[in-house]
Amino acid sequence: MGEEEAYEFVTSTLEKERIEPYTREESEVVHSVQQCINCGICLSHCPVVAAVGIYRFSGPRSIAVELSRSPPEFWATGDTIYLCTGCGTCMEVCPKNVNIPEIVNMMRSRILRFRPDLVPKGLHVVRETILEHNLAFVPLEDVEDKTESRDMRLEHYGLPLIETPEEAKSEVLYYPGCQAEERSQEVREAAKIILDRFEVGFTMLEDMCCCGLPSRLMGDKDTAEKLASRLKQRIDELDIKKIVTTCAGCTSNIGDASFAYDWNVPVLHLVEFLTDEVGTDKLAKAFTKPRGKEKVKVTVHDPCHLIRHTSRQLMDKALLLLDLIPDVKVEVSTAADSCCGGGGLVAYHSKDVSKAVVKENLEAIRLLEAQRVVTPCPLCTAQLEDNLFQSGSSIEVDDLTVFIAQRLSNKG
Amino acid sequence: MTKSDVVVVGGGSTGTAVARDCALRGLKTLMLERDDIASATVGTCAGMISSGLKYMDEPHIVDMCSQEVVHLNRIARHIVMKNPILTPMLELSDLSSGGSFAEEYSKRAAKREVPPVLFLTPEDSLKIEPKLNPNIIASMYFEEFFIDPFRLCMLQAIDAQRAGALIRTYCEVIDITVKDDSVDEVLFYDRVKGDIERVKTKTVVNAGGPWAPGIAKMAESNVEIRPNKGAHVILDRRVVNVGIIAKAVDGRMIYLFPHENTVLLGTTALDTWEDPDTLVASHDEIEYLLQSMEWVVPSIREARIIRTMAGVRPLVANWKVPEDKVTRGYETIDHEFEDVRGLFSFTGGKLVMCRHMAETVTDLVCEKLGVKHKCTTHEIPLPGMEADVDILAFSADYGISQHAVERLRARRGTEMTRVLELTRENPDWRTTICACEPVLEAEIRYSIREEFPQNLNDLRRRVRLGTGPCQGTFCTYKASAILMEELDLSGEGFKVDILDFLAERWKGKRQSFRREQLVQEEVTQGMYTCVANLDQSEIEYDPKPWEGSI
Repeated sequence: MGEEEAYEFVTSTLEKERIEPYTREESEVVHSVQQCINCGICLSHCPVVAAVGIYRFSGPRSIAVELSRSPPEFWATGDTIYLCTGCGTCMEVCPKNVNIPEIVNMMRSRILRFRPDLVPKGLHVVRETILEHNLAFVPLEDVEDKTESRDMRLEHYGLPLIETPEEAKSEVLYYPGCQAEERSQEVREAAKIILDRFEVGFTMLEDMCCCGLPSRLMGDKDTAEKLASRLKQRIDELDIKKIVTTCAGCTSNIGDASFAYDWNVPVLHLVEFLTDEVGTDKLAKAFTKPRGKEKVKVTVHDPCHLIRHTSRQLMDKALLLLDLIPDVKVEVSTAADSCCGGGGLVAYHSKDVSKAVVKENLEAIRLLEAQRVVTPCPLCTAQLEDNLFQSGSSIEVDDLTVFIAQRLSNKG
Repeated sequence: MTKSDVVVVGGGSTGTAVARDCALRGLKTLMLERDDIASATVGTCAGMISSGLKYMDEPHIVDMCSQEVVHLNRIARHIVMKNPILTPMLELSDLSSGGSFAEEYSKRAAKREVPPVLFLTPEDSLKIEPKLNPNIIASMYFEEFFIDPFRLCMLQAIDAQRAGALIRTYCEVIDITVKDDSVDEVLFYDRVKGDIERVKTKTVVNAGGPWAPGIAKMAESNVEIRPNKGAHVILDRRVVNVGIIAKAVDGRMIYLFPHENTVLLGTTALDTWEDPDTLVASHDEIEYLLQSMEWVVPSIREARIIRTMAGVRPLVANWKVPEDKVTRGYETIDHEFEDVRGLFSFTGGKLVMCRHMAETVTDLVCEKLGVKHKCTTHEIPLPGMEADVDILAFSADYGISQHAVERLRARRGTEMTRVLELTRENPDWRTTICACEPVLEAEIRYSIREEFPQNLNDLRRRVRLGTGPCQGTFCTYKASAILMEELDLSGEGFKVDILDFLAERWKGKRQSFRREQLVQEEVTQGMYTCVANLDQSEIEYDPKPWEGSI
């Protein structure tokens, strides 16, 4: 048998034995997981375990010491592994910083490859959408519908419309992400207002494409890589030096890609961009009392992809920003850093789990006198908003970007 | 006094295979094991049912091994796994020596339904195993089968029992009397009851492995073996994608084999005069294995070492040749030549041959007894192999996670339904006792009721309790409580059993302690000394020989 034929034969045997070789990068994740000492601290912090119990979701420790040990058996973890919201709480409380969220993605990728029939149907739907549109949501087909929806939202939030700059020479790329592009358009518009207000030259992609996080989370490595390289190609074409985002997921995912593939392009959440690059002096001067709005009591929600997958400092910066806005009082929720249940694409196939997880946040929020919840992530915003509304609460939720845009004075 | 057609001494792979064969041929069979099933040599092997790759210059043995692999795949498919294996080559000389191996191997490959030896380019090899040394010049690929050695022995014992054999563990033979040049009676000490019993028998099969010479001596006979120590280092989880074979510092072949949810790095081969009961892997052996493997897998030291295990091979007594020149075949000794009729002993042998050895000796026993039944052990499946198991359906039906059900299947095949059935009446028994494996309470209860374990170590061999990275930290006390309840033991027994089990774990851990496992040990010590106060307890417990100060 020739060498080429031999290799083909071997790969087909590996396929039959359900072995997809760990790459070098994946081996590092495996190395991280082997640090687990079975202490179980993660079990008492995992929001999914707390919400649905150990029989439904056996938790991060079980992923580390049991489920992730033998790749030929990964297929048999489908009833558990898709329930992880990827919030990263386990990794944060772990004395050995075991990288559970990433091993979960790796295991999901093996299930997708060898037993796609065991991947929840809801994830296949998202996958199809991404493959077809390069976006996590089916875009509104009619441009006019999209414009109409945008204008309604701007009116609702009392925001002016800023023209989108041409894809011209500018070193900063504002990347709204799928949610702000297709669903919560007010977030994208608010970001434009803010950047414009501080005279930041920026550009946007004409053909928005997904950052690849949903693909990565469902274990579709190929698509995640394809989307990342597509984004990189656009960055190169536009000669971008910096990416500013408003979505927590995009921030961490593009940041990871930039680090993994040596893009040398920093990725900043708008919050960080404002505090670090615009500066608090300028910010303080720019804030004003929104017309017709009274002193407002807010509480914040910390998006997992910021505090755990990027840096906790980002929420310190978010609080600093809120502190600069007149007549805003922040009340601290005891569940501020608990996963909203929207992570890990869990809501796409196990709504009951997602809802059980967010309950913790809802109960903590209800105990406060806060009138609004503010969070720097359009996905968390949507998840909290939907669930507060469904639970009959009158508390409203704002994306922090929108909240800030509403409170900026006019230029000059 | 009871009577028996045959007394089998030893409950390892060979002893249990002999007991099964004898029972299936209708002989009144008693098997005596001094400790537990698979508690010595076979319990420290890699589980490879080798096609004979290390002894290509003994073609008749390679033929036999290949045939036995076919048989084992027929009778025990549910506990057999296939491992793809790479042999990376760093020098041209490796390539030429590999060539002759490839030829011999390939001749018998089709029979076992595996491909002939294939040669891969360095680039392709690295795609399959990115951890390989990038300087390899080529690699050889072939496939071997592996079996769970504990379950194989257990299933052979249980099948023997079902065919009418008496299987007695913790029964140590203390004398074999010979009358009129024939074996007559076997005296044994029941270590659990504390009684001495005797059994009248016409034949005795000495399958004592490293203890075979001592057993023969009781019947005033002689068996000579060349005891050879083999040690393994056990790595947590599958850190390599496929099995790897490499040339060791002294030119021997060593391997890295995925096994269940671990990887085994082995093995050493040292002539030994140590007591097989207390021997442990030495620092030299651990370093020998690590350094040898480091040449082809440079990152091997980054893997987490859970523990080591060491055992003694009862090699055929070929002296004044290197260990690897000693035949890997086995010899059956009929002691009639020294005027002891009815006594048969084994020397040599490999795991893969255990059924073949049993067939050979059972033929001799039958001849002696005038029984004409033919051997069927290669045709009749072992318990649990009746059908394929629908994991998803069982998982949904019993409300137990798919992975737990799959692990249960890997150990028990179709017999797992009997474990699951216990959870119908006792839903609480779905509780996970050993988190690493996992092992559910129902399986522990089932094993205690059906598989005659006497202590936690026996349970470990039956259900893989405490074999994971935490080495019993979180399952020992839970499993112990269940064992006490099922066997109605005292509170003192509870503590002694915990200490025994932890001591046995310590035996393997101590030698290779480093990094992760040291951190893990802090947790273990914290649990059992700081929390459970076992070090201050007033129970009578003699520390094991390996527990002394080092």
